[in-house]
Amino acid sequence: MRSRSEEVARLLPTPARVATLSVLLLIVLGPLAYMAIASVSSDLAVARGALWPDGFHIDNYARIWRTTELARGLVNSVLIAGAVAVVSAFVALLSAYVLVRYAFRGRIAVLRALLALQSIPGTLLLLPVFVLFASAATALGVTIIGTRWAVLITYLTFALPFSTWVMVTYLRELPPELDEAARVDGASPWRVLTRVIAPLSWPGLVVSGVFAFLLGWNDVLFASVLTNPDTRTAAVELQIFGASQEGGALPVYGQLMAAALVCAVPVVALYLVFQRYLVAGLTTGGVR
Amino acid sequence: MNKRTATRQGRPLWMFLPGGLLTLVVIAVPLALALYISLLDLDQYSIREWVGAEFIAFDNYVEAVRDSHLVHAIGISIAYSALVTIGCLPLGLAAAIATQDRFKGRGLVRSVLLVPYVLPAFVVGSTWRIILQPDGIANRIFGTEGLWLNGPRSFWALVIVQLWAGWPLVYLLAAAGLQSVDATVHEAAALDGAGPWAKLRYVVLPQLRGPVSLGLLISFLHNVNSFTLPFVLFGVPSPYDVEVLPVLTYVESFQNFEFGLSVAMAVVSLILVAIPLAVYLRAVRLDTGRGPK
Repeated sequence: MRSRSEEVARLLPTPARVATLSVLLLIVLGPLAYMAIASVSSDLAVARGALWPDGFHIDNYARIWRTTELARGLVNSVLIAGAVAVVSAFVALLSAYVLVRYAFRGRIAVLRALLALQSIPGTLLLLPVFVLFASAATALGVTIIGTRWAVLITYLTFALPFSTWVMVTYLRELPPELDEAARVDGASPWRVLTRVIAPLSWPGLVVSGVFAFLLGWNDVLFASVLTNPDTRTAAVELQIFGASQEGGALPVYGQLMAAALVCAVPVVALYLVFQRYLVAGLTTGGVR
Repeated sequence: MNKRTATRQGRPLWMFLPGGLLTLVVIAVPLALALYISLLDLDQYSIREWVGAEFIAFDNYVEAVRDSHLVHAIGISIAYSALVTIGCLPLGLAAAIATQDRFKGRGLVRSVLLVPYVLPAFVVGSTWRIILQPDGIANRIFGTEGLWLNGPRSFWALVIVQLWAGWPLVYLLAAAGLQSVDATVHEAAALDGAGPWAKLRYVVLPQLRGPVSLGLLISFLHNVNSFTLPFVLFGVPSPYDVEVLPVLTYVESFQNFEFGLSVAMAVVSLILVAIPLAVYLRAVRLDTGRGPK
């Protein structure tokens, strides 16, 4: 039985809803289903555009590790994106705390910059960052480009505006009486932050951490220029794998789909686990 | 933020240091450097000693406009971004409206509808590259023939794939907007005897204007800046019909080694996003974090 208020709030008659959702689910699930089917099809069947797999080629998932350096790429991606997630959530918490709890000149300008910085095209910063890292490396006598540090620092910085924005919207919801009480007791801002605020804001920390992880996991632009074959991320590994299939004898499309699926699984798993928080983060923050 | 909660006493401004320092080194300085490099005659021969490269003022910009594909790329970028953004509107609204009423399995449907948006762009690109290849499944199912990843149809391939991956954002914001439609509005519509269509058209949709326009704006910004999807989907050098600005800039730097020219193009792309960005910044109320109402 539906309650009366639910009945009044109804937007669509059931047939219209079923029809709309069927079309939308077909659009969304069609390519996803094909991706799954193709990943267990023979390379030949995918290349010919066969609708049904010619047998169940689960061995695609075993063969990709020898065809590509995907394993090394995944390790690099986990290390880099994982570090970015942890550090950026923490750095964002620091900045957001000051932005929410303290008044200072330029506060609004910083808040506006947090949104504006997310729209700077990566292609504009790529070459200057490359030149800067190369010059700094020469000046300091160290290697930067080609190491995991280069992309780590880059992703960390690019993740900060959004992570900070997420933390700002989150900390605003915490009652200020909490840290006022601690401050009255003589606790330093650092103590208030680490003992009172941080333990209460873990959902916010998780959201900004997950978004930072995704930024590192999904990037191709910077990784394609700042890494070398040993430090390549999974994203670049898959892009190169895909691009190298043209012009050859038989493209290993079945394996390519299996590899793509392997790269997608961690992201979809993170999304499913943290869905509720992430959706809230997306609608308050805006830009991905 | 009110006066009571924000204090000026004992401000730990040092807490800005890590974030501020990173932003300075990896965003602010490179941004300034980009503006400077765009005025230099910088190519593969002068890059090692880039500080000493010849200063040529706005020659790169002149060359970009006159002798490169820049104008063409801007046209492609704007046209395809606008088409994708327009396409997001009916899909996003339909999904938000159809998942608003309670029904069995609604949670699952909502999760599934967001998956294309969650998938990494490099996975989406790799997958559609296979779907759209000449002997691929798309041509097989729709009875079409020929190329989707090259030639004039590649433009539509880009629109379709970007739309497939991007529309759930508009759905998400529209759905959030629907949640905040007041119950009394539904009561009033029911009292007036409005049918489902009239209610949608005259009562519900006008309330969604704010969040949906925000979604469209963000979607447009995202598409104009999108590098990974076109790069992975079509490869480089990219076909003429999908030579979008970010890919053109990348190719100019890392395939043609015309660094000064490439950065000048990228600066132009900054101007391109500045207009929608300004609208966006005005629309978001900074102190509450809520979108326009």
